[in-house]
Amino acid sequence: MTAQHSIEVTVNGTRHAREVEPRLLLSDFLRHDLGLTGTHVGCEHGVCGACTILLDGEAVRSCLVFAVQADGHAVETVEALATGETLHPIQQAFHETHALQCGFCTPGILMTLVPFLRDHPAPAESAIREVLSGHLCRCTGYANIVAAVERVARYGPGTHAEKDAQ
Amino acid sequence: MILGSYMGRRVLRLEDAKLLTGRALFVDDVELPGMLHVAFLRSDDAHGLLRSIDATAARERPGVHAVYTAADLGDYWQPGPLLVPPPPVPGLIFNAATQVPLVRDRIRHCGEPLAMVVAESRYIAEDALEDIVVDVEPLPAVADLEAALLPDAPLVHEQFGTNLAAQVHQCKGDYASARTAAALLVARRFLYDRGASAAIENRGVVASWDARAGELTVWDTTQAPIPIRNGLASMLGLGESQVRVIAPFIGGGFGPKIMMFYPEEVLLPWAAMRLGRALKWIEDRRENFYATTQERGQIHDAELAVSRDGRILGVRDSFLHDTGAYDPYGLTVPINSQCTLLGPYVVPHYDSEFKAVFTNRPIVTPVRGAGRQHGVFVMERLLDLAARELGIDRVEIRRRNYIQPDAFPYDHEILFQDFRPLVYDSGNYPAALEKAALMIGYEDFVREEQPRLRREGRHVGIGVVSYIEGTGIGPYEGARVTVEPSGMVRVATGVGTQGQGHFTTFAQLVAEQLGVEVTSVQVTTGDTRDFSWGTGTFASRGAVVAGSACHAAALKVRAKVLALAAPLLGVPEGALELGNGRVSVRGFPERSLGLGELARKANPLRGAVTPGTEPGLEATAYFGPDRGNAASGVHAMRVEVDPDTAEVKITRYVVVHDCGTVINPMVVEAQVQGGVAHGIGNAFYERLVFDDNGQLMNASFMDYLLPTALDVPTVELAHIETPSPLNPLGAKGVGEAGAIPTGAAFAQAVEDALSGTGVEITEIPLSPSRLYELIARARGGAG
Amino acid sequence: MIVEGNHFFPGPREVVWALLLDPAVLAKTMPGTASIARVGDDRYEGTMAMGIGPITAAMFDVVITMTDRAEPEHYTMQIEGRGKFGFTRGKAAVTLASEGAGTSMHYQADLVVGGKIAAVGQRLLDSVSKLMLRQGLDAMTRELEHRLAGGAA
Repeated sequence: MTAQHSIEVTVNGTRHAREVEPRLLLSDFLRHDLGLTGTHVGCEHGVCGACTILLDGEAVRSCLVFAVQADGHAVETVEALATGETLHPIQQAFHETHALQCGFCTPGILMTLVPFLRDHPAPAESAIREVLSGHLCRCTGYANIVAAVERVARYGPGTHAEKDAQ
Repeated sequence: MILGSYMGRRVLRLEDAKLLTGRALFVDDVELPGMLHVAFLRSDDAHGLLRSIDATAARERPGVHAVYTAADLGDYWQPGPLLVPPPPVPGLIFNAATQVPLVRDRIRHCGEPLAMVVAESRYIAEDALEDIVVDVEPLPAVADLEAALLPDAPLVHEQFGTNLAAQVHQCKGDYASARTAAALLVARRFLYDRGASAAIENRGVVASWDARAGELTVWDTTQAPIPIRNGLASMLGLGESQVRVIAPFIGGGFGPKIMMFYPEEVLLPWAAMRLGRALKWIEDRRENFYATTQERGQIHDAELAVSRDGRILGVRDSFLHDTGAYDPYGLTVPINSQCTLLGPYVVPHYDSEFKAVFTNRPIVTPVRGAGRQHGVFVMERLLDLAARELGIDRVEIRRRNYIQPDAFPYDHEILFQDFRPLVYDSGNYPAALEKAALMIGYEDFVREEQPRLRREGRHVGIGVVSYIEGTGIGPYEGARVTVEPSGMVRVATGVGTQGQGHFTTFAQLVAEQLGVEVTSVQVTTGDTRDFSWGTGTFASRGAVVAGSACHAAALKVRAKVLALAAPLLGVPEGALELGNGRVSVRGFPERSLGLGELARKANPLRGAVTPGTEPGLEATAYFGPDRGNAASGVHAMRVEVDPDTAEVKITRYVVVHDCGTVINPMVVEAQVQGGVAHGIGNAFYERLVFDDNGQLMNASFMDYLLPTALDVPTVELAHIETPSPLNPLGAKGVGEAGAIPTGAAFAQAVEDALSGTGVEITEIPLSPSRLYELIARARGGAG
Repeated sequence: MIVEGNHFFPGPREVVWALLLDPAVLAKTMPGTASIARVGDDRYEGTMAMGIGPITAAMFDVVITMTDRAEPEHYTMQIEGRGKFGFTRGKAAVTLASEGAGTSMHYQADLVVGGKIAAVGQRLLDSVSKLMLRQGLDAMTRELEHRLAGGAA
């Protein structure tokens, strides 16, 4: 049995102190030790992007990070986006443009888009597609996801359904 | 106010909030007290004799609770059931061989499970895999389809004395006479290879046995929870009602999750019962490439007999189909290829024979398209080649051969995968073709744009292809609709959901009939406790079959509402109308009853009820179509090819699509867009590369390339609607449509872009390096 | 996987032959060899660590059986390596010819590689095996020079 390490990670604003094996992946720590199952695991080798979370505000694949590496750092997962029953603007946009089907890859994409939109509030379609190219989606063919990002960029926060009224 | 109709409305999805906020339950999210974790030791060899397996050291590792090998399973060890028997085609040969839970003596494909480890964590379980000592005597692997049928080939299943899994010959008319009468014969060998379904969620099973209640609960990433429940009950000696199978939110299905009785599915429940602990197994991505079924290659030697004006006189096709190490799913895939080749065309004479071949590779079962793309590719390519040789325009040759709109029902006189005759119910192929050609700007492109760009040295091309997709097959599905006292309407059906939007589309169907807001309809799918009759989500049948059942059940409830409300409101039934969640007298909205209130009245605690009535406002209905229906469409794409690097850029992609009556256009469009992405992957990026020893060379996303947002254009979509007479909704399936003709469109467009170079495309996938080779060869040869 | 090539050793054939079949020398020169011992007339067993791409060094159990021995000219090896990351097996033929004061070696190996290493390391197999071979042969050359200079075994 390998030695346990004591770590302290702040996840979605709450500090968690735990004993973990050094080889425990951050994705497994979040999902199974902390019960935050919104982050999904698709490949465990850093290609599909489903496990993307924010580590100190930057999008990072949690399957490529060990839990011990997050010691003393702040993690945000998809569970932090909505406020109560109110969806985050990007979540709302995904809903309105039908940008998810099975929803398995979605949390990872949302977490990549949060810092992306923070840094690029008015992205061109080519930039959107490029940032999305780090994520694999087998259901949607990406078109509606691009539309969701364009929608948030154009309309900003808030419910946009009424803007569709022609 | 009576609500507007929900049919054909772009209703935003009811299930989104859960999925967007990470609250949706997927199988790996299930956590049970005391749950242990499972890992499987899988064969590195593709073909070999398992001489011995020693798990002693593994069992002694701290944290390991049990290790099972085939010997430990005792009587429970048995090959899985044959899921799809062969169709009743005269003269058919079929050798059934199904997968085993753990290898006992002979390994037949890479990744076949040898042992199962149960431990405190997946990490420890995987450590223990390395402790297991395995002695394998390697055998030469069966890899090449043609070599596999030679007399001296090594055998995957010795008891058959051959690697022939099946031989099926279907024909109509007399091809020999067509051949003689033909002005032109076009004959080619076509290769069509496919790949993994690569759903982003891998497979998984959680099993929990409550000994006191005598209940087994299984969470499974399956597309078929009800058959799994029934099979497990039978295998484990339990009553069906003692077993509950839940297919919660599933991260993509695409076919392989309807393969049933995978080793892991049958072993986890058995071990959970023995150990008295909940068990979880989650497949990892590398395992997925071996342990989850996939689709692979076919080799077609096909010939088209055509008249001088491009009319099809007949087609002859002889093909080999790679079925992998076992064939539990029967002949669904090659039969689909055989039937779908006929497409939307009049083919008076057809002679099609295929041989399914066992190989030392993972099992082949349907993946989105399920063999249809192979047939479409062959026919569309033959027509393209004929068009070129006869000097007829590619769009025109299709126009000349279409089954006309007034010719339905149209009988192709051969048997389809549902064992019923291949009869098309409805369609309007010429209209779709015209629309697609118009949208892609075909005329202008061919006449003006392409020659102009070519003079500038640019290689642009266009591909226009046509296809039929057989959908909505039986046997049946069912649904139960219940109005609760709260006014909420609950719908339960047996099919599962893997992203198709059933929670919304089925709610639309029911809300439509009951006059309630779609948001007050809650749909449950995939839980055998809630509904336990049905088969599953596959073959683009969910909306057609389960949807029709929901519709039928809603109609029954509607009838009950009217029958119950009429005497209470003191009017005949005909004077009543439903809307806003209430039933009211037409013209007198204040004389009404809420449906919830009515439901309460329908379930009294005291008093007498009229004999023959049923309590509450609830009804169950089933729907089984007479046969499958024929969805159809046309894909058109524009490409530009760099002849020096062989890079292909898709500049436009058009789909004109007919899936009959559309319940939710937003959902349909997204299914097509997603299907096209899958098709693009198949055509250009995806290939499972096996070597001669059955070793998979690219078992990771690093080397098995899925298309990204940079590779998939936004599809321009138009609908044609020819309702199906085979179900009350008039609907046809759409789940696979986008993926079916993409390879054929790709080949035509790229060949068109490279016309003049002599490049002929008779294979898919067409990776950039392969295309580069073909261009180089053509240049070298043609000079 | 076919591995084929030539290598020139600056020393007489008999010495080269002896080095190639000496388990202590093989242990020293073959990259990743943790141990190797002669367990029979024609049989060597040992353990080697191999890493390719995303697979970090994993231990393989290796069995080498000599056949067709024709001292000091030619031998064939049956190679069987198995570990948790996969396996390799095949045949390698080695021919030594005198060339002036030195020895020219021709080798040809035909190996099947399977398991995880083949599944995720495929693109690198060729280059890694060539690299390992180069490293091994260079180390062997240094050992030869050391011996000829009177160094101890």
